[in-house]
Amino acid sequence: MVLTRPAAAAPRARGLAWHHINRVQERLLAYALILPVALLIVGLIAYPFLNAIWLSLTEKMVGYPARFVGLNNYIALWESSRFRIVAWNSVVYTVGSITTKVVIGLAMAAALQKAVRGNQLLRGFLLLPWVIPTVVIALTWRWLLDLYRGLVNVSLLDLGLIKAGFHWLGNPDLAMLSVIMANVWRGFPFFGVSFLAAMQTVPQDLYDAASVDGASAWQQFWRISLPSIKGVVAIVTLLSTIWTLNDFNIVYIMTRGGPGAATHIFATYSYELGIQSQRWGMAMAASMYSLPVIALLIVFVVRYLHRDEAGS
Amino acid sequence: MSVRIFRWLVVTGLLLLVALPLYWILATSFKTGRQILMSEGVYFPRPFTLENYLYLFEETRFALWLRNSAVTAIASTLISLAIGSAGAYALTRLRFPGRRSFGALVLITYLVPPGLMFIPLYRTFIQIGYTNSLGTLIIAYPTFLVPFVTWLLMGFFRSIPRELEEAALVDGATRLETLYRIVLPLAAPGLLAAGLFCFTLSWNEFLYALIFIADDNLRTLPVGLSEFVVSDFAFWGQLMAAAALASLPVVLVYIYLHKYMVSGLTAGAVKG
Repeated sequence: MVLTRPAAAAPRARGLAWHHINRVQERLLAYALILPVALLIVGLIAYPFLNAIWLSLTEKMVGYPARFVGLNNYIALWESSRFRIVAWNSVVYTVGSITTKVVIGLAMAAALQKAVRGNQLLRGFLLLPWVIPTVVIALTWRWLLDLYRGLVNVSLLDLGLIKAGFHWLGNPDLAMLSVIMANVWRGFPFFGVSFLAAMQTVPQDLYDAASVDGASAWQQFWRISLPSIKGVVAIVTLLSTIWTLNDFNIVYIMTRGGPGAATHIFATYSYELGIQSQRWGMAMAASMYSLPVIALLIVFVVRYLHRDEAGS
Repeated sequence: MSVRIFRWLVVTGLLLLVALPLYWILATSFKTGRQILMSEGVYFPRPFTLENYLYLFEETRFALWLRNSAVTAIASTLISLAIGSAGAYALTRLRFPGRRSFGALVLITYLVPPGLMFIPLYRTFIQIGYTNSLGTLIIAYPTFLVPFVTWLLMGFFRSIPRELEEAALVDGATRLETLYRIVLPLAAPGLLAAGLFCFTLSWNEFLYALIFIADDNLRTLPVGLSEFVVSDFAFWGQLMAAAALASLPVVLVYIYLHKYMVSGLTAGAVKG
């Protein structure tokens, strides 16, 4: 073995006793090894975050020190019609995207479940949107949906399905639909592949027995496949909700939150308040409104995944 | 509806859904500026030209963005692998008080969305006076890479039989020696996969790079790309050529990583 170098061979005599005496050393080594992770978490996640909560209780004008204003920022936002639109948009964007991804993901998993030649290749191809940079995806969709020259309008017109091109990114309702489409395009492959992986752990016997009993493919999907993967569906949905509720890239690149505030969501609005208007306290307060939901979802996910981890 | 028809419909539909936008990127990138502007025969590049690709390297800072992205992604990946693998080893193999809570803490930090962290992080970098440098990004990216790597590698480390290590310990190796001589070599495929995932995440990162960097010469690819669009106008030919080139490295990485992506170890490896 690799270990028979002279320095390591000598203490062999210490044998098993060494194993027990070294409890303290083991702890010291453990703390030394997790120290960098701990420093990173404390310094670049916990401290900034707590500092930002403090920031949300202050008002800072350029050239003056920050002034404590209590909950004023939160109250001002609560009363602002623009912020209410932002909060509502965030919910629509999240629920719309995720529901669609779950439906397409389930269809994808069901269609690819049976081993077919070329399946692996097909699955590999369908996952491509998942690895391509989100910025590329958002820019591409912006170009696909271009009013006069985009592929979507031009081909719909050429097929005779519409009389005039849709104003995808200019019409408030269509703009929300557009950013959701781009988000779904990026995200459905991961949903599909996760569901598929879960479905393939279901024993074939169950399906065979159901077939013998005369259950249709549709019934098998509802009665066997879906119940067996509901844990995975739940966890993927929760994870995706956490990140979609605070998504930034797609909306920022496709619409900048417009037209008006029709697609503004939490992160793009915080960007507008903080980075563009330098109203840091207000910007952080806006972000904080999504925190209770995010925190609750994180608790669910951690309990689920950590329980799995402890069990293995 | 028969199962066969359903399957055929879904597969064809999904193939078209994925393929058409990708085709649109490539087709546009090979069109002349005139063809795009005049919207002449939008479906195929006619004539076929490489002028958009040449333009990127001759007339824009594309090569510089490429370099900035590569430097940032590689440096933050190496740092995160070093920090994360040490943490993952301690969390899977060593017994110490607080181990379980620390594991949960790592998972929590992994889940915190960047959309919530960008202002807090930016404020902190302003406080310490370190913004507008590639170093800022190289320090910032581990905030989401390290929790991810740690979590991913804990799975790999757990799959290495404990007996191998115990045998080595009995033979007189120290814990650190077993880490470097047994665990890490056996976890090498896992480390490579984790590293490539980190590279992809850093390469694709947009929000922090947009906000922490003000200097045009320090832009990374995604930010450079996003600034091709000026108000409502864009040079779509050049932009789509840039999009294709920016996607190429991660698509190549993905061809290798593909087998890991299905394994469920990677839940949420790309936030979204």
